[in-house]
Amino acid sequence: MRSPYQVLVLDDEEVVCERLKAHLEKKGCEVEAFTESQTAIDRMAKKSFDVVITDVKMEGPSGLDVLHFVRRENPATQVIVITGYGSIESIREAEYGGAFEFINKPFTSKAIEALTLKAAKKARKQGAGGKR
Amino acid sequence: MLVKLPKIFGRGGKATAERLRVRLARFRELVQKNDRVLTLMAEAGEMLGGEYLFDRVFLRDFADELRDTVEGVIQDLSEVSGERYPDLLRALAEVDDAVRAAMELRPPVPDAPAILPMETMGLEHADAAGEKMARLGEIRNRLGLPVPGGFVVSTRACWDFLQRAGVTDAVRALDTGREGAPERDAPDTEELRRRILESELPPELARSIRREVRRMVEMDEHVLFAVRSSAAGEDSDLIAAGQFTTRLGVLPDQVPTAYKEVVASLFTPEALAYQEQHGVPPGQGMMAVGCLVMVPARSSGVVYSLDPLRPDREVQLVAASWGLGTVVVEGKAPVDRFALKRTPERTVLFRRVAEKSHRCVPAPGGGVVEEALPEEMRTAPSMNDAELRAVSEAACRIERYMKCAQDVEWVLDSLGRVAILQARPLRIQPSLAPAGRALRQELERYEVLMRGKGEVACRGIASGIVRVVADLDSLPPGGTGELVLVAPSASPRLGSRLSQASAVITDVGNATGHFAAVAREARIPTIVDTGIATSLLEEGQEVTVDAEENVVYRGRVEELLHYQLMRSASFEDAPEFRALRRMLRRIVPLHLHDPQDRTFAPDRCRTYHDLIRFAHEKAVASLTKMEWVRPSSDVEYVRRLLLPIPLDLVLVDLGGGVDAPAEERRVGLEAVQCRPLLPLLEVLCGEGGWETSPADMDLNGFMSSATRALPLTTPLASRPEQNLALISREYLHLSLRLGYHFNVVDTYLTDGANDNYIYFRFLGGVTEIVRRSRRATLLRRILERFGFVVEGRGDLVIGRTRGLTAEHMVERMRMLGRLIGYTRQLDIHLRDDQRIDEYLERFLEGDGNLSGA
Repeated sequence: MRSPYQVLVLDDEEVVCERLKAHLEKKGCEVEAFTESQTAIDRMAKKSFDVVITDVKMEGPSGLDVLHFVRRENPATQVIVITGYGSIESIREAEYGGAFEFINKPFTSKAIEALTLKAAKKARKQGAGGKR
Repeated sequence: MLVKLPKIFGRGGKATAERLRVRLARFRELVQKNDRVLTLMAEAGEMLGGEYLFDRVFLRDFADELRDTVEGVIQDLSEVSGERYPDLLRALAEVDDAVRAAMELRPPVPDAPAILPMETMGLEHADAAGEKMARLGEIRNRLGLPVPGGFVVSTRACWDFLQRAGVTDAVRALDTGREGAPERDAPDTEELRRRILESELPPELARSIRREVRRMVEMDEHVLFAVRSSAAGEDSDLIAAGQFTTRLGVLPDQVPTAYKEVVASLFTPEALAYQEQHGVPPGQGMMAVGCLVMVPARSSGVVYSLDPLRPDREVQLVAASWGLGTVVVEGKAPVDRFALKRTPERTVLFRRVAEKSHRCVPAPGGGVVEEALPEEMRTAPSMNDAELRAVSEAACRIERYMKCAQDVEWVLDSLGRVAILQARPLRIQPSLAPAGRALRQELERYEVLMRGKGEVACRGIASGIVRVVADLDSLPPGGTGELVLVAPSASPRLGSRLSQASAVITDVGNATGHFAAVAREARIPTIVDTGIATSLLEEGQEVTVDAEENVVYRGRVEELLHYQLMRSASFEDAPEFRALRRMLRRIVPLHLHDPQDRTFAPDRCRTYHDLIRFAHEKAVASLTKMEWVRPSSDVEYVRRLLLPIPLDLVLVDLGGGVDAPAEERRVGLEAVQCRPLLPLLEVLCGEGGWETSPADMDLNGFMSSATRALPLTTPLASRPEQNLALISREYLHLSLRLGYHFNVVDTYLTDGANDNYIYFRFLGGVTEIVRRSRRATLLRRILERFGFVVEGRGDLVIGRTRGLTAEHMVERMRMLGRLIGYTRQLDIHLRDDQRIDEYLERFLEGDGNLSGA
């Protein structure tokens, strides 16, 4: 029986964090949510996550900075980048930066749940997951 | 072959044709933008169902796109009509402002009336009336539970009062000092309170309060009031607002003073510290005040719809005592405690009658006083089992509606009848909530009847008994919402039955359709378009509908129901949902109905929907008024349609509507490419569509039609209407004058269900007024049967539908073809009201032939 997927959610809007957390916990994940990217990065230095879901637009270190950090420090961790209503630029950069996938807001709970589980499975195959 | 242009065009026939082409192209763009706005509105409405995750950025982009598109529509209208509409642009700016204001997740003080009566109070007034009162209003008016009458003094009125008292600067100063500032200087706030208490209320407000109070006194001369603060903003429940913001036992004359006292008490150091702790700008969060009639309380208390410490036990807890509820809420004295099972039988599990010493009662000169209980009451239970169950029932109903466990304050009057005084989400320890994984394991035990079919129109979890509703008329009214309604289609008529439902599942339907919007308003978990629900689910089965994961289980899945209850609030109450709802209220409601009415004007446009409705109507009117639009016209794009029935129809091709050489001025049906027009005409021209046998007229009806002069109120008097169709491949605007009837069909038929809509309008008539109204009734009923949302007064019938697939759209167009033929001579036959049913049945059975009745 595998251990629960560890997910980190990063979005500057509290409501998005709460909602995502609720949806993913219902699917059996363990979720930590952050509204500040630096705090999230500090946490990721201490704990290895299966999946990191980050909004592309963040103050301080941007969502793409977070993506690069994760790919560098913990390549097994899969990163899902949330892009806004039609921002093509960020999509391209996300793909180039090694994101597992990007998803456009607004998205359904089903969509993000499915994507997260897919990403987590890949992460586990690549040896991520579990607390350090 | 030379094409001769009629003299009216004067010189430059080619230039005219070109100008015409430009106008038609602009009209086509207007139609597309119009449809885009309708689609955006419908999709945004769909998001209120909880399936989508969205944020402020989305709301802003949504508002931007709407505004830009509606502005485009107005510009297109100007090009099409050759007129300017400065009033429309002004109205647009106003709507945009209102939408932006509504978008604020923490809204500023809304522009609301000073006084809001409880009779029309609901959650939509939360910004103006505060959470507490808005919720009570919802419970009263939507759930129909007994709640005391009264009124709310709005946040706006409070702010105006504070301004008059000259303290708004001081209030704002409290806010700026917040970041890191540890304490309020006591003298500042004391001064603030003093000024509030000593200031006069604005005269208008004072008058309004006195008028409302007088209204209550007229109903009961001994009336007393409870004056309570009502916090605005989503975290109002955190701001549990202690006793210092309530005044009980207030005499009618004392209400204005009590109001000031309540407002002033919001600025005590304790209150301010409390607000600061919970991140609310001081004073901002609490500025609405409710003035409710006090129920003479024999007993009062509190009920928790779940045990917050042991939510897994299916138990409700009640605490009660004699007199007013302060004794229970303050928790200082012993009170009676009960526990009931949450099953329908509501078995009383536990009764602990305390030794009670005092009760709180209204004092003679106002206010309340504690008095010692007479001996015999001290050890008597303050409520009996029947009353316990009534309280429990009420709590369950509120819980189901709000989709989370509730903490409810109630009172019993001298006859033992329950009234609800307050309800709020019950905080359950998060650690006690079942973990996601554990839940999934529990769910594996249950049989799945249906999974992943159709789409969720409104999220939520509910259980109930299946009722397959093939024919709505066979479902008796009544019931308390224990049914899971399973219907063939998401007909708007289902909307009137929602009070009986705990959930709704349909075979056909669209999450952007009208019924879905109504279901979301009522917060009923709904799944549409499953395709097989009516055949899969059995009448009388108990099921649990999980309209989150889109699964229907056999039986009652307690774990799921629990899971829902333990959440601190339903998604519907989340800030972004409230913001979207507020925005949609300024976008979707339609105030303009009858184009012939003088209220169909730019200054009556209050929403984006009004604006596009107006623009569309005006654009069509200006096109159809044009001189070149007539059967004998030689202008390109205008053709005459040859039909096997005696109907003159002018076709104006917006592009793609007709497939025939440009110089052919007359075409037959086979050249028509317009997807919605074809089925309509095929049926109208087909067997029994256009009545061919002589009408069976009775003498009265005939005399009436022959001698009746055209009343000036009908549209027909203003200008000669052509039978005209503006068409493209997907779009149709058809206006048909048949005898004295005037039909309009405006529709968009594409392969994408979301974009499709039909607007049907009918007016006018031969024969006298009673028959005309019978006909209107018949038309409305026919349209309703076919899933249209129907409106209209008197002779005017308007039917609307959207979100249908292309296939269903074609069916509706065929039905409209039949309907138009059917109504041609209907009045003559409609001799009495009983015949309405007869003719309804005949139409539904496909019998379009009226003679031989």
